[in-house]
Amino acid sequence: MRRFKLPPQILRLVLLTIAIVASYSIARAWLTPASFHEYGWYRGDAIRELASRTPQYAGRKACAECHDDEVHKLAKGEHKTIGCESCHSAGQAHADNPDIKLPKPSDKDCMGCHQLLAGRPKFLKQITLKDHYTGHRCVECHVPHQPSEVP
Amino acid sequence: MNTSLSRRRLLSTLGRAIAGVATFSAARVAKAAVQKGFVSSQAPKNYDPTKHRWQMVFDVDKCIGCGHCVDACKTENNVPRDQSHFRTWIERYIIKKPAPGSDSPRGEVLVDSPNGGMNGFPDNLVPREEILKSFFVPKLCNLCEHSPCVQACPVGATFDSPDGAVLVDPNYCIGCGFCVQACPYGCRFINPDTRTAEKCTLCYHRITRGLKPACVEVCPTEARIFGDLKNPVPDDPIQAFIQKNKVFTLKPHLGTEPRVLYANLDKEVR
Repeated sequence: MRRFKLPPQILRLVLLTIAIVASYSIARAWLTPASFHEYGWYRGDAIRELASRTPQYAGRKACAECHDDEVHKLAKGEHKTIGCESCHSAGQAHADNPDIKLPKPSDKDCMGCHQLLAGRPKFLKQITLKDHYTGHRCVECHVPHQPSEVP
Repeated sequence: MNTSLSRRRLLSTLGRAIAGVATFSAARVAKAAVQKGFVSSQAPKNYDPTKHRWQMVFDVDKCIGCGHCVDACKTENNVPRDQSHFRTWIERYIIKKPAPGSDSPRGEVLVDSPNGGMNGFPDNLVPREEILKSFFVPKLCNLCEHSPCVQACPVGATFDSPDGAVLVDPNYCIGCGFCVQACPYGCRFINPDTRTAEKCTLCYHRITRGLKPACVEVCPTEARIFGDLKNPVPDDPIQAFIQKNKVFTLKPHLGTEPRVLYANLDKEVR
């Protein structure tokens, strides 16, 4: 009886298939990040990488650590819902190093909210600059931290 | 068969064993080197996304269109400061009075969002006497339960995090833009600097530190309410707000089931 011999063209195909499957398995084992299936079909480390960036806005609690008095004043008035950094701009750099000063809010910041505008709800007091004491700065008559008081 | 151990046989077996061990350890070193070069990360390990469920609610009646949220978002997330890239933005809806003689309850609807509302809105777009009503609608990623953007991504770069945020892995994103087309809310864009897809992450680096997202932090009227459904604080603003108000989602007919809720929404808002 003749011994069965795999035809050479089939043998080449089998070897090629094994080589492809083996290189795929090796690449898969080597190149799949360790955290890949941690939560789902994505890198679990991506979540933590996104979480590891540093904030620019410090948050009201950070402001209150030093500016407790101003935060208390603000909490009594009509502007109590406004976060410090809403007018004073991003403050993480200032919180880390108090020598870095934040820009002073100007009349433009007041008018960002209080400009009379179609679409603004009625509860918000709105003015047009040319009809409202032209030539004076807002803070001459209004206290931003206690808007109902007069200086 | 010769079972005695000849010197030649012993040496050849030993040689093969050493070669095998050397190959295996070399393979392990190579594997470690490849993983270090291609797939490792220095990600910190102190946040567990399965223990949170983030939620955002808007009170449309409270939005005054000041644009602080848009500006804060751009500062916080290094979003390009041009007219076409926004993670959050404000739209103003102006509904005109119906034309005289028309039997419709409302007239033409205009929507504007100049520079995303960052520098305010023009007051002279429509004469005041022609306006039936007008209001602002803040927009951001709607945090869909069935996110079309996640389904469209061909490389698994965008995903629903267990805490409810829909995130993009910038290392995996190839910048094909399929997700930009897939999002029915227009909440995604390709960052021209990094050439990867970008979107609202709910300020992921802030919320994981116990801070509020930048837009919520600066919103002067509390039109944006943000909270964690799995760790509600005693007077949780989200739960109280949803109890008191009728809330709605954008484009509910698409079946995306957004988790961002809007109170006091008009039917014209898309």
